[in-house]
Amino acid sequence: MIPHICHNSCRIAAISAIFMIISSPQEIMAQNPERPKIEDLKFAELEFIPPEAIRYELKSGVDVFFLEDHSLPLVSIYARFKGGSRHFPRNELGAASAVPILLRSGGTADLSPDSVNKLLEFYAAETSFGGGGGTSFGSVNMLKRHLDDVLEIWGNLLKSPDFDSTSIEVWRGQELEDVRRKQDTPGRLAISKFNHLLFGDHPVGWELGEDDLEKSDLTKKILGKAHKKIYCIDNLILGVTGDVTWDEIEPRLERMLLGWPECNDPLKKPPPPSTVADYGVYIVPRDIEQSTIILGRTSEIKLDNHSDYFSSRIGNSVLGSSGLTSRLMTRIRTEEGLAYSVASVWTAPRSSQGIFGIMTQTKSKSTVSTILAILEVLQNMSINPPDKNEVKNAIDRIVNGFVFNFQNPGQIVSRQMLYISQGLPLDWLTLYLDGIQDVTTEGIEDLFLKYLPAHEMDKMVILIVGNPDEFDPGLSELGTIRIIDPEENFSGKSYNPGELSKVDANMDGNDTTSKKLPMHISKTRISH
Amino acid sequence: MVLDYYWTLFIRCFTAFLLIVVINMGEGLQYCHAQLATGSDIPVVEHELSNGMRFFVLPRIESPTVSFVVQYQIGSVNEVPGKTGLAHLLEHLLFKGTSTLGTRNAEAELAIFARMDAIQDSIQMIEDKKSNAAKVRSLQERIEMLEDDARAYVLPNEFERILSNNGARGLNASTNTESTTYFVEMPSNRAELWFMMESERMRDPVFREFYTERNVVAEERRLRVDTNPGGLLYEAHMKKSFDVHPYGQPVVGLMSDIQELGRRDVQDYYYRYYSPNNTVVAIVGDVDPFQMKEWAELYFGDLEAGDLPPPVTVLEPEQTNEKRVEVVFDAEPQIRIGWHVPEEQNSDVAALSVLSSLLTGGRTSRLYQRLVVKDRIATLVTSVMGPGSKFPRLFTVEAITLSPHSTSEIEEAVYAELDSLRHNPPSESELQRIRNRLEAGQIRGLTSNLGLAFNLAGSASIHGDWRTTFRFIESLSEVQPEDVRRVVENYFTPENRTVASLLRTNEVPVR
Repeated sequence: MIPHICHNSCRIAAISAIFMIISSPQEIMAQNPERPKIEDLKFAELEFIPPEAIRYELKSGVDVFFLEDHSLPLVSIYARFKGGSRHFPRNELGAASAVPILLRSGGTADLSPDSVNKLLEFYAAETSFGGGGGTSFGSVNMLKRHLDDVLEIWGNLLKSPDFDSTSIEVWRGQELEDVRRKQDTPGRLAISKFNHLLFGDHPVGWELGEDDLEKSDLTKKILGKAHKKIYCIDNLILGVTGDVTWDEIEPRLERMLLGWPECNDPLKKPPPPSTVADYGVYIVPRDIEQSTIILGRTSEIKLDNHSDYFSSRIGNSVLGSSGLTSRLMTRIRTEEGLAYSVASVWTAPRSSQGIFGIMTQTKSKSTVSTILAILEVLQNMSINPPDKNEVKNAIDRIVNGFVFNFQNPGQIVSRQMLYISQGLPLDWLTLYLDGIQDVTTEGIEDLFLKYLPAHEMDKMVILIVGNPDEFDPGLSELGTIRIIDPEENFSGKSYNPGELSKVDANMDGNDTTSKKLPMHISKTRISH
Repeated sequence: MVLDYYWTLFIRCFTAFLLIVVINMGEGLQYCHAQLATGSDIPVVEHELSNGMRFFVLPRIESPTVSFVVQYQIGSVNEVPGKTGLAHLLEHLLFKGTSTLGTRNAEAELAIFARMDAIQDSIQMIEDKKSNAAKVRSLQERIEMLEDDARAYVLPNEFERILSNNGARGLNASTNTESTTYFVEMPSNRAELWFMMESERMRDPVFREFYTERNVVAEERRLRVDTNPGGLLYEAHMKKSFDVHPYGQPVVGLMSDIQELGRRDVQDYYYRYYSPNNTVVAIVGDVDPFQMKEWAELYFGDLEAGDLPPPVTVLEPEQTNEKRVEVVFDAEPQIRIGWHVPEEQNSDVAALSVLSSLLTGGRTSRLYQRLVVKDRIATLVTSVMGPGSKFPRLFTVEAITLSPHSTSEIEEAVYAELDSLRHNPPSESELQRIRNRLEAGQIRGLTSNLGLAFNLAGSASIHGDWRTTFRFIESLSEVQPEDVRRVVENYFTPENRTVASLLRTNEVPVR
């Protein structure tokens, strides 16, 4: 059911469905006759009414999701803002990235950073501020007895931050060091290169580089302007959980919002990504004994296309997102011992292209054989599509584990805030559960034939961080090979991989495609 | 021995607990309106089986889920040189099923294992493996072929499949210096399935797919240590700090040792030391403790008690000179400075814990302010005691340098801050902030079933009493400024420290 929006003290969707989870006997024999056999185990139905947040609207029009929990003397307040670094042009990326972190460290109009730190630590408050591309957030958890003191400071950090110059310099130094250290860890280097390679000069592919961190681009005035664009009241959604009643918290929230500026202009939707990479093999040379491999390509699945979307959730679970039992883990880890871990991701954004990708690490001399084994598993998804048991297993694990979506009030309230900020229906979780259970073997077979057919295994972008001198033979059969300099392309400037790459003379490959690809592995920045 | 006293006590606690739960069906199920006890007052129910296996149950009704943590008191400190990584590899293999779970024909599998073990014996008897590399490789290939033959009977990852299909979350395990821990969260209506599965793998594990899994562990080592600057530095620091104590051995094992371990090494080790009397179980969540007790007896009660691992008696001699180690790797610098300090049960550890908070706990902490804000020579500074808790260990300060500053500058600043504390104890306001945080931390620690279960199991396993960890945290509030000054004076001397730096080739100082 889709709850209606109501004003003051109106409770929505008070009663949800009772989840009844049915047992699924297994065929194992218990040896002791006193113990039941596993197939005889009967599980009681899990009759559970999930707690739901109450949605209120404050005088200013700000929505508040509220869920009492008096089990501990703690209160948590959450703020989510529609808008984030994705809504800024490239030349403001540094400022957009700085704001969420400096909200916490830069002081307020009234208090120096040092005073804020001392007070919040005296009250033992836990704060979190951050942003993840399209949205920004802040939260605070405190002992109830410090509610007034902490809420005043936290509200001012969000509403009227100071962006003290020393704090800006500390953050700038940390980020510059972070840029320098990106290539120290192969996995991080691989993800960074892959994002940049596939998304190029677009917000979803941007990462902070030295050029974004010029001192002159990070003044108090510039940060203030960036703050004003996102942290205005029209973008704000609040959440409250814990040892507090609505009557207690409402006046405090109203007081916190007094004088909170309105948004000047509506946020502009970023343009769709312009993709840059050709299919083939990209090597980032590193003299290490284990290769990090990411391979992937674009996906046209959209969340709003429910049939394909839900099939892709189950299909990806069977393929590589369900841990040890996935086809990829079974083949690559359990049967062949090639890697400690291998996993697939399949995103389905609402408007732009999503990604399909697989990541693993293996010793240098099994690099090519691991890639080939992964491609074979992927190819098999359409040649030997998941059978009824595989599909049932994937559905069972989601349905039977559904209660884990309701482990604590913070989880419930945060989810509702996220849904509303992203324009999803508030009962999306229920719709999701229903949609998952409607997935069929035929639907998954059609999905792979449509989006990842067996004959398109050569249409992949394959990125390897490792030592190509130690790879096993056969790499050239995977496509055109290009070498990427690990020390370049972190500046944030757009680049054409074709211009910087070269074909290794010893690895003659065939260019297989001209299609452009997008890829995105999301980044979230958090400051505590 | 059944500790009936605790059950009686629990009945009172639990009844009171239930009575104050407010359920208003018209409003939907509310969260518990009674405030939970904290610290060592939480109503944990203990039950010990006649075989010595101990259970600790804490009922919580926030959501219909339950967390299970099983902890064996055995880890890398129990390993001997040449067999490092044994406990960790064994941890992996306990996911491989039993003689009835994960196989189509256990008998046929076991027949093949005997042949594999015989060939592995031949490999282990070759003293000079380098000169006989071809022979070793040939024997290894024969083992691999046999393992492939055995694989024909295997239903891979059946243990995980059954639990996951029943809604399990976070099924995993970890090995550390002193313990090996298995954990999972389940929908509470499926708690009995956990009892059945966990007891079966404890009773009757089959170490199948052994040599393939050994390769998986080798990849894990490459991932976590050999290609990871932080992992390399940590390993080198521990090795340099402990000349004789097994804290100097890596939990994941040395690569040369991992590749030598045989299937029977692991199997024998398991049946010798992973006994119920060396095991504790913590259960936290929406469960009935009486039912848990009943199932504990039914599923685990007939396991036979066994040997306990030999006590670790080796003592690290007092360090009399500063030790240093440089790790050369293609990465930006970082540093670890460790001082030898006592085991967790020592009375000085409360003051050392407060010192850790004072130095690096939060934005007002001394080292954060000095290194990150004032001098701007580091981007991050942390401190921790470890690698274990049962034996004398290290108090380590770890920092990430901010270019162009060096690890030497970090050292100077850290020593200067410690000197300052040596002469001037911390202020009352500094300690009050720490006490407040400890109080809030105690309460926040109750928000996670799994976190609580880890806490109970760890405390009971390592210290013998689940309350020890809670009481220790409570004792931190009694630490006085002079206590902090005294431990700095006693332990933070130049001759008691070991410094490990990660540097690029061209940055290694000439000595």
